[in-house]
Amino acid sequence: MTFDSNAFLIIFTGALIAISCGFLGVFLLLRKMSMTGDAISHAVLPGIVIGFFVSGSQRSLEVILGAGLLGILSTLMIDALRKKAKVQLDASIGITFTLLFAIGIILINLFAYKVDLDQECVLYGEIAYLPIDLWITPNGLNLGPRITWLAGINFFLILGFTYFLFKELSITSFDEQFSSAIGIPSKGINLALMSMVSYTTVSSFESVGAILVVALLVVPPSTAYLWTKSLIPLLRLTAALGILIAILGYYLAYWIDSSIAGMMVAVAGAFFFGSALIKGNWPLGLRGTSKSNPAFDS
Amino acid sequence: MITQVPQPVLEVHDLTVSYDQQPVLWNVDLSLPAGQLIGILGPNGAGKSTLIKSIMGLIPPTSGYIKIFNKPLQEVRTRISYVPQRESVDWNFPASVLDVVVMGTYGKLGLFRRPGKKEIQIAEDALEQVGMTAFTKRQISELSGGQQQRVFIARALAQQADLYLMDEPFAGVDMATETAIFQLEWVIMLNLHLVASGPKDQVMTEELFRKTYGGKLNLHTQVTDLIRKQDFNPLKS
Ligand SMILES: Nc1ncnc2c1ncn2[C@@H]1O[C@H](COP(=O)(O)OP(=O)(O)O)[C@@H](O)[C@H]1O
Ligand SMILES: [Mg+2]
Repeated sequence: MTFDSNAFLIIFTGALIAISCGFLGVFLLLRKMSMTGDAISHAVLPGIVIGFFVSGSQRSLEVILGAGLLGILSTLMIDALRKKAKVQLDASIGITFTLLFAIGIILINLFAYKVDLDQECVLYGEIAYLPIDLWITPNGLNLGPRITWLAGINFFLILGFTYFLFKELSITSFDEQFSSAIGIPSKGINLALMSMVSYTTVSSFESVGAILVVALLVVPPSTAYLWTKSLIPLLRLTAALGILIAILGYYLAYWIDSSIAGMMVAVAGAFFFGSALIKGNWPLGLRGTSKSNPAFDS
Repeated sequence: MITQVPQPVLEVHDLTVSYDQQPVLWNVDLSLPAGQLIGILGPNGAGKSTLIKSIMGLIPPTSGYIKIFNKPLQEVRTRISYVPQRESVDWNFPASVLDVVVMGTYGKLGLFRRPGKKEIQIAEDALEQVGMTAFTKRQISELSGGQQQRVFIARALAQQADLYLMDEPFAGVDMATETAIFQLEWVIMLNLHLVASGPKDQVMTEELFRKTYGGKLNLHTQVTDLIRKQDFNPLKS
């Protein structure tokens, strides 16, 4: 087992991504929109490819804008299919993201000879190469790993977003109608949240990939939800899990020589199942206290 | 059939509300005076919740308009308090009783500002009014249905509004809370098809119910029976 600066960078970046995804994931979970997060993270693909094609670089602002627009487009499309076309929510999510994702795959194949966009990388990411992908300014200054910078900026954006809009995010998650009734712009808050999810997906896809980022959005918040009774502890535990997942994921992957991102998600899954065993509603007295305490009506 | 009142608190003009082009309420006209408790009755699915939601601007009307304190809703939002049906939220949400009641103060706080000592005091006072002080720190999933209803009423009290719109506020509440509600000079709207307003014995007549509900009368005969009983006070004005 080694602990060098490369290991630290990978764990540090992994933790930043896991915490960012976890914070957004908490609000998706509370809005029962975890699958919308899944949809967005796949639907941004055509936006990434188009941005890539326009700018010729995966580091460009065009990629981020393209992904952001597609992310918002996908939430609008899901909403329209559900409300106007009367399709069930789960079906409209399934239709929207598979369609947009497929368009993305086709675009990658069409443009692949023009730009160096690696399909494998977009889908699965590779955090292990992070230390050698450096951000070097035009006049030759080495600023360190590019992906760590990206994850860091994203982390502070999300931290600011949850801090400054904490009141709005929590009330619209609990009671959307009441929020609208008292004049809180619930639709705007929702769109802002969806944009953040899109942006996070883009800034994480090179390191953990468009598929595994979904796990980081859904699994740590669901695990923390089993253990906590109010929102701030829920966010704290989600963040702590993010750090643990990054550390254990790195060393386990190192140990059995496997994908770091894959191992991070596997660790997250193990934490979830462990928690579900302890806190879930199992027979045989396997459990502690149950979360779904049905209200005893008076 | 409408009793026109001078200086009404709430005016609804020719309101039609539809879900997917299917009208649920049509040509509703009503005008309510200040300082009174008013109930709107109707069977399940009659459109009571729909009426309250469209007054709160949550469902856009197909036609007609609403004025509150003689102004459009947008200008008076912070003066109106709303209690949705208890079933409209997930009570497994990770929040304490106090967390939820403080939400009542968010409308007046505005974007980005966080609740402070003053807001917490308002929420604690509201909890005291509904007799829930002992449950301040309790998680909301660990409450009975009636206690959850009281939390919603406390949240409405914390809004410190001039007009209260409550959707089925009495579902499962105890006597103390009921009294707390009646001590305030509110307009309470329970149901749809308000045909008149005024003293209870003039409004809640069988003739008026028959006019309003036609074929669905059976249910309402029972309601009128209920109202005649002394101990049924929610509709006292
Ligand atoms: N979101 C909705 N979409 C379509 N129809 C609805 C919706 N909400 C309510 N309705 C219909 O509108 C009618 C009135 O509902 P509601 O206002 O909830 O009645 P009440 O509160 O009096 O029980 C019912 O027939 C109901 O089926
Ligand atoms: Mg109703």
